[in-house]
Amino acid sequence: MQTDDLITHLTQNLPPVRRAASPWALLLRWVLVTAPVLVLVVGLMGPLPHLTTLMMQPRFMRAELLAGVTALTAAYAAFCAGRPDEPVWKLWLPAAAFCLWVAELGRQCFVLSVQTKGAALVLHTDFMCIPAIAITGLFPAIAMVWFLRKRTAFRSTHASLCGAMAAAAAAEVALPLFHAADTMMMVLVWQMGSVVLFTLFAAACGRFILTEPAMI
Amino acid sequence: MVDEDPNWRVWMAAAQAGDARSYAVLLRVVLPWLRRRARARWPYSSAADLEDMVQETLLAFHQNRHLYDPGRPLAPFLFGILKLRGADVRRRRQRHAGRETAIDEVPVTFSGLIMNETQESDSDHAVMLAAISKLSERDRMVLELLKVQQLSLREAAVQTGMSIMALKVATFRATQRLKAAMKGARSDAN
Repeated sequence: MQTDDLITHLTQNLPPVRRAASPWALLLRWVLVTAPVLVLVVGLMGPLPHLTTLMMQPRFMRAELLAGVTALTAAYAAFCAGRPDEPVWKLWLPAAAFCLWVAELGRQCFVLSVQTKGAALVLHTDFMCIPAIAITGLFPAIAMVWFLRKRTAFRSTHASLCGAMAAAAAAEVALPLFHAADTMMMVLVWQMGSVVLFTLFAAACGRFILTEPAMI
Repeated sequence: MVDEDPNWRVWMAAAQAGDARSYAVLLRVVLPWLRRRARARWPYSSAADLEDMVQETLLAFHQNRHLYDPGRPLAPFLFGILKLRGADVRRRRQRHAGRETAIDEVPVTFSGLIMNETQESDSDHAVMLAAISKLSERDRMVLELLKVQQLSLREAAVQTGMSIMALKVATFRATQRLKAAMKGARSDAN
């Protein structure tokens, strides 16, 4: 088909379109929808009895803060991925946040293992982390898919990956408030492992949900 | 992206509001710009491939024009689509090239090119034209877009406003009706 003919076809019967919201606006909506649900999940699951003491500890708050930053940057990157005019550096912001988060947990693990003479390195099976992250991250993930659909015609794999990471990180913000890990190694392996697992699984599936052709 | 005309944004904002004339002007103005950028980005691609990239870009731009924010320049938006769709086209070409075998010269007696007896009657032009003329306007349009012009389902969906599933069903039915009409035309001729 000749390009001139294509242009003629495209410009015939042109319907008006509703402009998509900006990535910032979508991020705000996602946070407004997700945050109350996470608070509800923590309330239903029952917050840890010593939560107030935990929140006084800088290391706990640093980990929570970095999980939150990862969730926010990942969500923002997911909303940016579908826009062809967004620069690539924005799409890699969550990778930086995630590395910082893992590095902080690794540092805490190292410091505690030295202080406790290796007790912080004890690792045993805790399969509860996986369903706990999955259940807590389910609603943020559904909300993410809802906001991403029809807005992600480009770089859908990256959008899925970042969206899944945002949901998993959001779940990881809520999880330590109601599910205690015995040692830092448990946090690093089981909780972070669940985040990575959940992210990769949702990214692999999410791409097929998001790549529905936009019929305008 | 210093080579952007300030009118582009204005025309695009009007196009988002449904102004077909502004949209046509915009697409015709950006076309040479897109061709130039495609040639600069992929200097070793063939002219046909570059034109495919430009067409894919225009289609993707059309389907996603709701994503454009008129407060921002249009050139990065268009160029972003060109980069992504151009890379898709190149990947597709490379995949196809891996499956293709070049045959330099085919001798005129090459048996693979001999037509069988029924092929001539199958492609009887007059019978085909008579059968097509008996089809409805919609059937003719579907066959023209998908079988003659060989557009993809997505491209045809954009042009007709039908969904991909509806197009598939319409193509199947139109083909069935064409077969039936051709049978009728042949029996009339006999």
